[in-house]
Amino acid sequence: MDKLVAQYSRPRHQDEFYSEQEQRDLTESHPSISLKFDLPPLENPSAFLRAMTDDHSNPSCPIKLAHGTTTLAFRFQGGIIVATDSRATAGNWIASQTVKKVIPVSRLSRGEDTQTDAPVPGLLGTMAGGAADCQYWLRYLSQQCTLHEIRHKRRITVAAASKILANLTYAYKNMGLSMGTMLAGMTPQEGPALYYIDSDGTRLPGNLFCVGSGQTFAYGVLDAQYRYDLTEEEALELGRRSILAAMHRDAYSGGFINLYHVKEEGWVHHGFSDMNPIFWKTKLEKGEFSNVTSEL
Amino acid sequence: MDVLLGITGKDFVIVAASKAAMRGPTVLKADDDKTRQLNKSTIMAFTGEAGDTVQFAEYIQANIQLYTMRNDTELGPAAVANFVRGELARSLRSRNPYTVNLLLGGMDPISNKPSLYWVDYLASLAQVPYAAHGYAQYYCLSTLDKHHHPDISLEQGLKILEMCTDELKRRLPIDFKGVLVKVVTKDGVEILDYDNDKIVKSA
Amino acid sequence: MTSFGRYTSAETVGYSFSQPTSAPNKEHSFYPYTDNGGSTLGISGSDFAILAGDTRSVAGYNINSRYVPKVFKIGGDDESGDGAHILLSVVGFAADGQALKERLDAVVKMYKYQHGKPMSVRACAQRLSTILYQKRFFPYYVHAILAGLDEEGKGALYSYDPVGSYEREQCRAAGSAASLIMPFLDNQVNFKNQYIPGSGEGHALEPKKAEPLPRETVEQLVRDAFTSAVERHIEVGDGLQMMVITKSGIEEIYSPLKKD
Repeated sequence: MDKLVAQYSRPRHQDEFYSEQEQRDLTESHPSISLKFDLPPLENPSAFLRAMTDDHSNPSCPIKLAHGTTTLAFRFQGGIIVATDSRATAGNWIASQTVKKVIPVSRLSRGEDTQTDAPVPGLLGTMAGGAADCQYWLRYLSQQCTLHEIRHKRRITVAAASKILANLTYAYKNMGLSMGTMLAGMTPQEGPALYYIDSDGTRLPGNLFCVGSGQTFAYGVLDAQYRYDLTEEEALELGRRSILAAMHRDAYSGGFINLYHVKEEGWVHHGFSDMNPIFWKTKLEKGEFSNVTSEL
Repeated sequence: MDVLLGITGKDFVIVAASKAAMRGPTVLKADDDKTRQLNKSTIMAFTGEAGDTVQFAEYIQANIQLYTMRNDTELGPAAVANFVRGELARSLRSRNPYTVNLLLGGMDPISNKPSLYWVDYLASLAQVPYAAHGYAQYYCLSTLDKHHHPDISLEQGLKILEMCTDELKRRLPIDFKGVLVKVVTKDGVEILDYDNDKIVKSA
Repeated sequence: MTSFGRYTSAETVGYSFSQPTSAPNKEHSFYPYTDNGGSTLGISGSDFAILAGDTRSVAGYNINSRYVPKVFKIGGDDESGDGAHILLSVVGFAADGQALKERLDAVVKMYKYQHGKPMSVRACAQRLSTILYQKRFFPYYVHAILAGLDEEGKGALYSYDPVGSYEREQCRAAGSAASLIMPFLDNQVNFKNQYIPGSGEGHALEPKKAEPLPRETVEQLVRDAFTSAVERHIEVGDGLQMMVITKSGIEEIYSPLKKD
């Protein structure tokens, strides 16, 4: 009854215009740092979101979000290797073959567009699950890392950065976020450090992780030949080959192999290379992929 | 959660099947044999619906043996595979079809060439150099893609099999109690002594 | 007055004053979206960018209008949009598209008033992403494409998913005919699966390198893409609205498409 009274005692027209605060938010040229999101006027917003966007439980959902991935990262004697594919899918539609799934975190001033061969200081984050979720929250994490750097006059540790992200995903648990991300970085305090964080709120430190629909295929190749004392060249090749394996067997993975190496001085990019020539080179020169025929 | 693996090589076919017989949360038996020998040089490994598996396998086994007795000839692997596929396809259109996934490994009695066939419960048939069923597909096919060559020796084949079972021990959340390994060569079918007690450490 | 199983209405019970006390306000499934169809397409060049869209608006199988623009000037002075230096196209749910366009337009204008300089396309692209993500849990049902000229004067094109993941690209088709147009663009703009004739045999064939196309070629590609989409998609047709942004401003070109 109270609910009914409350519903009708407030004049309906009050809702029809933007409040002063809302007007300010609408026209503010900078996004607000406070985390406010619009919600549908319903008891259960996450069920609504699922009905609209989750093509797994509802294949005819109207809003198809970009999904599907293979990403991997592993620690070794010379630092951390980070590798990903570049495909984004919305249902069966390949939305893009050129997604950059490795996102530099911290040092906002050194944006992702700068092209240098010198190592770039900072952490790397990988992107699996909802593309927008990963992009947005890793950017938010960048803000927080930069603020940390300004406040404390030293770079944030990977442990602290990953905790910020994990606390965040835990706060939004069951709201429909979808992300599986790895944070890789090297700091004087920690050495090479690698963390896995996902939208359930899990946060795990570890030596080796593969995330995404193609994870098992990448694990298959990576586990068999992984050692901590790999040389830099061996490690890069193993990372590349593991992504190639996943691209070959998982239809939701493909496009280009994006390869990074995190070192003491920062991260180095080792190319965004088309998988097709690499696949045929691997097959024809090394005789692998013997299930594929190259002639009739 | 059952594991089936098949690998062909220069002069052999390895067929491996997990030894755990599971029903719900229980392991009923830890040394189950999920294979049947069809004739002198072909074996079949199977997983799927409880009951269907053994019934179907023994029905096939009996018919292949009947054919051998009647005609005094061994059917080659290709003939066996196509017969099995036909029976499965016929059953699929019946009132209660068999739900079984199969691997067929054999040596051709005339040409002595090894061959492996992958068959699923919808009666898809494919001849392949290596194969897996169940969760093993997700973990082992990429390993096999990388390490398999058509002309490997039996030792190399077993080494690749070990890489596969190591990976499964590392990553599968359920203990499948090791694998039973059978190998087909020109001399027939043989059970191999396979080390299932090796402890695999995760990275 | 509780009832089990079947719902009993007040009439069947017979009390004229009876109130349905046990039946709460039944919430019909909340569906605030509709798809107004159509398609948009953007291509960037070395010193220009083109954003185009058809002008048909549909609801189900009904064609409600033959002229509802999908491409807008952002940050212009007044209704005419003069002085704008950014273009936005939105396809999907037209009302959300309209709301999004107005919000971004307000933001770009406020930026100019507050900072005394126009917003760069890069900044605008990032801001659009956050605007879309603000509605992460109640999304805008739109596929947006943003176009302009970057700091070096090169054509810049950014494409978005409904909740704000974005990427800078050479070309992008969105909307109902995206699956018809995008493969054509891959082949004709990025030269995917095109090889240099006589450069080798089989795997040694050298792929043709993609490079920015001249404006006339791009305009013709856009026309071809839309005339072809009209032939094979029911939601595309009526008119083609093309906006070309160069350093001398924005030029709008309208040409008719088939109206069946």
